[in-house]
Amino acid sequence: MENNKNVIDKQAHTDMAEVRMKPNRVRDIVEKIIETIFLLCAMASVISVIAIIAFVFWKGLTPFLGDNSYSFGAFITGTKWDPGNDIFGIFYMIVGSVFATIGAIIFGVPIGILTAVYIAEIAPKGLVKTIKPAIELLAGIPSVIYGAFGVGVIVPLVNKISPRPQGESLLAVICVLTVMILPTIINLTEASIKAVPKSYREASLGLGASKTQTIFQAVLPAAKSGILSATVLGIGRAIGETMAVMMIAGNPIGGIPSSIFDKIRPLTSNISMEMGYASGRHQEMLFATGVVLFIFIMVVNITLIKITNKAGEK
Amino acid sequence: MNDTVSKFSVNDLDLFYGSFQALKKINMEIKENEITAFIGPSGCGKSTFLKTLNRMNDLVENVQIGGNIYLDGVDIYSDIDVIKLRSRVGMVFQQPNPFPMSIYDNVAYGPRIHGIKKKNQLDEIVEKSLRQAAIWDEVKDKLKKSALAVSGGQQQRVCIARTLAVEPEVILMDEPTSALDPISTLKIEDLAVELKKDYTIIIVTHNMQQASRISDKTAFFLLGEMIEYGDTHQIFNNPVDKKTEDYITGRFG
Amino acid sequence: MDSRKMKDGILQGLIYFSTAFTVLVLVVILGFVLYKGLPGINLNFLTRMWDSKTTFVKVVKEESVDNNTKDGYISSLGITIDLDEKNKVYITEIESESPVKEAVNLKNDSYPIKKGDIITKADTTIFENITIEEAATALENGNETMKLKVVRPGGGIIPMLVSTIYIILLSLLISAPIGILAAIYLNEYAKAGRLLNIIRFAIQNLAGIPSIIYGLFGMLVFVQMLQMQYSILAGALTLSIILLPTIISTTEEALKAIPATYRQSSLGLGATKLQTNYKVVLPNALPGILVAIILSIGRIVGESAALLLTAGTVAQIPTAFTGNEAAAATLTTKLYWLIKESGDLSGASSIAIVLLVLIIVLNIISKTITKHFLAKQGNK
Repeated sequence: MENNKNVIDKQAHTDMAEVRMKPNRVRDIVEKIIETIFLLCAMASVISVIAIIAFVFWKGLTPFLGDNSYSFGAFITGTKWDPGNDIFGIFYMIVGSVFATIGAIIFGVPIGILTAVYIAEIAPKGLVKTIKPAIELLAGIPSVIYGAFGVGVIVPLVNKISPRPQGESLLAVICVLTVMILPTIINLTEASIKAVPKSYREASLGLGASKTQTIFQAVLPAAKSGILSATVLGIGRAIGETMAVMMIAGNPIGGIPSSIFDKIRPLTSNISMEMGYASGRHQEMLFATGVVLFIFIMVVNITLIKITNKAGEK
Repeated sequence: MNDTVSKFSVNDLDLFYGSFQALKKINMEIKENEITAFIGPSGCGKSTFLKTLNRMNDLVENVQIGGNIYLDGVDIYSDIDVIKLRSRVGMVFQQPNPFPMSIYDNVAYGPRIHGIKKKNQLDEIVEKSLRQAAIWDEVKDKLKKSALAVSGGQQQRVCIARTLAVEPEVILMDEPTSALDPISTLKIEDLAVELKKDYTIIIVTHNMQQASRISDKTAFFLLGEMIEYGDTHQIFNNPVDKKTEDYITGRFG
Repeated sequence: MDSRKMKDGILQGLIYFSTAFTVLVLVVILGFVLYKGLPGINLNFLTRMWDSKTTFVKVVKEESVDNNTKDGYISSLGITIDLDEKNKVYITEIESESPVKEAVNLKNDSYPIKKGDIITKADTTIFENITIEEAATALENGNETMKLKVVRPGGGIIPMLVSTIYIILLSLLISAPIGILAAIYLNEYAKAGRLLNIIRFAIQNLAGIPSIIYGLFGMLVFVQMLQMQYSILAGALTLSIILLPTIISTTEEALKAIPATYRQSSLGLGATKLQTNYKVVLPNALPGILVAIILSIGRIVGESAALLLTAGTVAQIPTAFTGNEAAAATLTTKLYWLIKESGDLSGASSIAIVLLVLIIVLNIISKTITKHFLAKQGNK
């Protein structure tokens, strides 16, 4: 140590100091082990995602591989589901799921956005205090209760106006899904409206725009990435919803819906209705239905993550 | 040990935040049982330098260090125990930052994490530390009250007591009075002078009167460089460097 | 100018309409559930088992002190009987010293008879189309050790309530520690980089996977491959994965709210990172963690699709973690089962009311904690 002057004295002093500063290896290792345990807990999510994908895909792709395989084309384009006769076509279910989701978005998104506008921009404080818990409650209602509401209220209503003999229909599903995605749309939109800087509103009002014009031409465009992710999240909820739609969809064994009064059989209800008793190829085909559903969800998820990350970068 | 013993020896210290060089070739000897003050304008690197002395900069990502710092001749950036280093080199922060616990628990925090569990032993340490920090008389009746409930100046002295309870050899003070009123500031200054009998104190300050009032040595930093270092009296009355003179006469900063 | 006013008016009208619609929907749902379900809510519904249960019991009679059996009072058994609307003989009153409390079943295990139990046979007398007097006489004059066939009526939600609670406890036991430690890792240890990105990506994805997919996974892996069968453990394991994103992100938010100076001063005093996390970080994150747990309970209470495929729909109080004894219907899956299998909308609505009350209570609790927590932070 070149900076030491009175070498001997200093050396003794340093030796003592070095002993005192000796690393505590045992404690350091314990800390490291515990950090590793924390890391493993964090990895639980990664492992879960991988395991879910691996198992569902493995089981779901089995029927299309090997000797006695089922044609994947026939599966994906088929319009009849008859496990008893070894017929597994899910095209009409995909159509049903997509129609139901589009319908829910068409109604749910505008209603949700406008409600969010009311809460964030117009409603007096006292009223917000009653509306917000109501929306929280709407978000917290379990899907089986939405199903019961669908069975008890929506289906009989649809039945009254429907040319078909039953009320279970695409229309009933759209109605219930619209209500179910409302809280998601409202909460996210409201948050993004609130994040719009006050100066935007002041600038717009200062240019002589009315309050309504300001909302629709200055505030909402500034909040559009939040609204977009709300919509995508709504799509995810609608396409993945199971229990409520299963109870009101009608779930026919085949046929592409041609009217809103037709029954549909969404992918989700196909799985949950028959999983309890299915076995062998029938069960594998339900997993295959899950794979198709999963692919839809992955597209939605990744779109959503992209949107949020992009918004975060700004 | 005589008074020429250096507590810290700093050799060619460089520090980078990513690609930005925050400290440039610092060389310095810091003496035992003295108060050393670091002065200089904001962003000059004095606080950064202070934090290298007990490796608090380790917590910041992307920090790279070059050169050496010796504490009693041991390179603190070699393979040493950072925990022991921080127990020996305590720190008082700019804002009083007691934990949201009682005054007693704040002061007992350090002894407890270092393994002291006995109630009477802890009581003793807490009282001694609070006395050393010159706040015992003010808080002895509210030891069980939240440390957040007392005034800012008292909070800072509780924090000093908390640091003393670990029995460090060096106390780093990072602008300890910048958030306090003048009376509290004076109390902390008196305390620092009192404490230097037993401890080596290094204080970063914006307040030049403070540096001249309490410190034995002063170092002036500018843009990551140590411009001048010497006896406080000399720095304030007879600075060698023009930049030091400009700064202490208030021409910039 | 006029067209602008008209446009503004139309848009404003739409805004009011949308808000009214949203609120109205909630009112209609609640109204419907209350209208259909409220008549079914009573003490029996909340306290009884779901299925009625028939048991043969033996009762040792006491000395008869009163032979008057007119009002259905049987002094040797210390009970009073009556006929219900279906002309079944049921017990309306049991005296405190009554021997029926000491009754045993045929395996000689204690099976105390309770108020409300229906007696269908006493020794050899079958209680069908019988008057109270006849039944009371048969009971009063029966053998010294009397054999009774007793039906304990069902129609209550106790098994589903208990199963729901079991599943809540089990899932939280698994996922709360993992989720909290994961959040600590992400917020306190992890350095920005590839690994952190992967973990965050996984968590975001988990949050978006619908419960039916979790159900498929749980059914395949836990129910079938690990041979747990429909069971509370299979259900709880599946749910614990579902809960992870909620617990992690809520806990992380709480951790982020803790001032960095707390950590610095702890480390500056020579505490290790673990000591700092344990003594300073965790205690300060406690309210947030509590909110995470309450949100999770809400999620479990409302969950159905995943449980349908992993825990089954048997209304029983589980007595094991796996296997036949562990199959369990929760409130939600039973609600679904009622509509699907028996079209019983009223019974389903009664369960729905119980669910809604639970959800509302949980909402209020988490709100209160958050408010309290925020108020406390504001003081600092």
